[in-house]
Amino acid sequence: MKIKFTSELKWHIILILFIIVSLFPIVFAISSSFKTLNEAYSNVFGIIPNSPTINNYTEVFTRLPFFKITINTFSIAACVTLFKTITALFAAYSFVYFDFKYKNIIYFFLISTIFIPFTVTMIPNYLTISKLNLNDNLLGVILPQLSDATGIFLIRQAIRGVPPSLIEVAKLEKIGHLRIIKDILVPLVKPAIISTGIMFFINSWNEYVWPVLILKSKENFTLPLALQLFISSEGGTDFTIAMAVSVVTMIIPLVLYIIFQKYIINTFASSGIKG
Amino acid sequence: MKEIIFENICKSYGKTKVVNNLNLTIKEGERLVLLGPSGCGKSTILRIIAGLEDITSGKLYMNDDCVNDVPSGDRNVAMVFQNYALFPHMTVEDNITYGLKVHKVPKEEVKKRLEAALEMLKLKGLENRKPKDLSGGQRQRVALARAVVKKSDFFLLDEPLSNLDAQLRGHARKELVKIHETCGQTFVYVTHDQVEAMTVGDRVALMNEGTLQMIDTPHNVYNKPANVFTAKFIGAPSTNIFPVDYLDGKIALGNQNLILPQMWINKIVDSGCKNLYFGIRPEHINFSRIEIDNAFKGFVKYIEDYGNRFGIYIEVEGNEIIAMCDKNQLKSGDIVYFSPDFTKIHLFDRNTTMSIGYPEEL
Repeated sequence: MKIKFTSELKWHIILILFIIVSLFPIVFAISSSFKTLNEAYSNVFGIIPNSPTINNYTEVFTRLPFFKITINTFSIAACVTLFKTITALFAAYSFVYFDFKYKNIIYFFLISTIFIPFTVTMIPNYLTISKLNLNDNLLGVILPQLSDATGIFLIRQAIRGVPPSLIEVAKLEKIGHLRIIKDILVPLVKPAIISTGIMFFINSWNEYVWPVLILKSKENFTLPLALQLFISSEGGTDFTIAMAVSVVTMIIPLVLYIIFQKYIINTFASSGIKG
Repeated sequence: MKEIIFENICKSYGKTKVVNNLNLTIKEGERLVLLGPSGCGKSTILRIIAGLEDITSGKLYMNDDCVNDVPSGDRNVAMVFQNYALFPHMTVEDNITYGLKVHKVPKEEVKKRLEAALEMLKLKGLENRKPKDLSGGQRQRVALARAVVKKSDFFLLDEPLSNLDAQLRGHARKELVKIHETCGQTFVYVTHDQVEAMTVGDRVALMNEGTLQMIDTPHNVYNKPANVFTAKFIGAPSTNIFPVDYLDGKIALGNQNLILPQMWINKIVDSGCKNLYFGIRPEHINFSRIEIDNAFKGFVKYIEDYGNRFGIYIEVEGNEIIAMCDKNQLKSGDIVYFSPDFTKIHLFDRNTTMSIGYPEEL
């Protein structure tokens, strides 16, 4: 027992240290966002502010159309997530259940696009969006992101875990593909779909480089772009306000995480019923 | 006619032939059992009927129409899978009625069929449970109920009892036969269990390595096997098979001879075949420690105790032969004399391994 206790203690200490390192920036951001700028410099690591203030938050909302910016970010993230997930689901279904010529080669090429850096596609995409006159338009940010090979890969893996006999039963019942996806597949691979969706959402929510290329006016900004205003020369060095923006940026993904955490943790579907 | 006809059907995966030139007619309303060892192609045949596998060559007819290109959904078949394939996220009721509801069968009709199926398969009270909350036997019955409510012309079962324990299996077997008698569809049943095949089937089709070995009634498959494979596969312990040579009314095994009855001599002469395999089931051998007429002489190698009877392994001229008896007074090393019951023997051509046939008297 003693041996077990000491060996476990080691892991507990490592994990606790890991949690502290992970949580520190968040706690630091929340705490600083309620400090005055002076206190932020004098009492850098104090977790509880001496004289808490919400001035930083009111400042954020008066200086920028913050509500609009949050809606922009949410709209982009929601559209991108929805379309990427749906296209990934359909593509994954086809790759698993349809037999077509060159299936494996097509799949191989599709998956290899995961390894193409963003900087390679950035310029062609930018030129296309400019030609479409979608500069400084939310649609311009959304359009190149409607499908994604990572999602196809993840959902395909989940679908492969569904016993083929379930789909064969549906085929024998003459049930169409859309209905099979809706009634049988989606309920069975729901955790994988949701965790993939959350991943898409968070990636899109945090995205900086592509929106900064497309979006020009503050009206159309997303949260990461707004955050940049306060830590660049334009916004000066008022980092308590920047921290307030960070906290606001964090809220929606955090709420989503809390709602869907059971799916994220439990990614694998309970598939197959055997006696 | 609600028949299924296989005409020269072949199925290959790449270079591997899984079904080899199959010609078979499954009659309307019969219970046909496809029996064979693992990997013999029996499940593939069932999946070909269901339309879940395409055919490499040949033609498949159902209800007098060639269905080679007809998708599974249009073949009017119901299938019970080995793993039951119940939808884990649906209740028992939804599992059973899902197909009917998708095809917009009127609600009263769905309810009527559901009630009848629940009644028939003793699933009353379990309607709202999910598959994970059911026992193996209950899941199997839900899978059957789902097939029953479909009221299709053909009922396909892929080893439906293999996940049940022995006791439940015996019970489920009787239930299956009862369902067939009530519904009257054409049943095609796949199993590797010969007891199941014999008790369920009106006819048994025995497969090996993608080739049909024999198709006949369970009685004939057991008593008049068409070839060595059938003789050895059916029955446990399996039929003793050993090579013998025919000469002047006698068969010779090494240095020992056995005089054949006239009916067998005629049969052998008709067949023109002299190099034979001799087949005899362990339960059809008479043996004694005292010398008996027209018998082979051997010695006891070892004895197996099955509880209700004994298996005596006898070595004769380099061949191992097993004989069954109820009481045992023998021990290893004893000299024994044994003679087969000539009304129960089987003779096969050694070149083709096919039976030379049976005398008319039998």
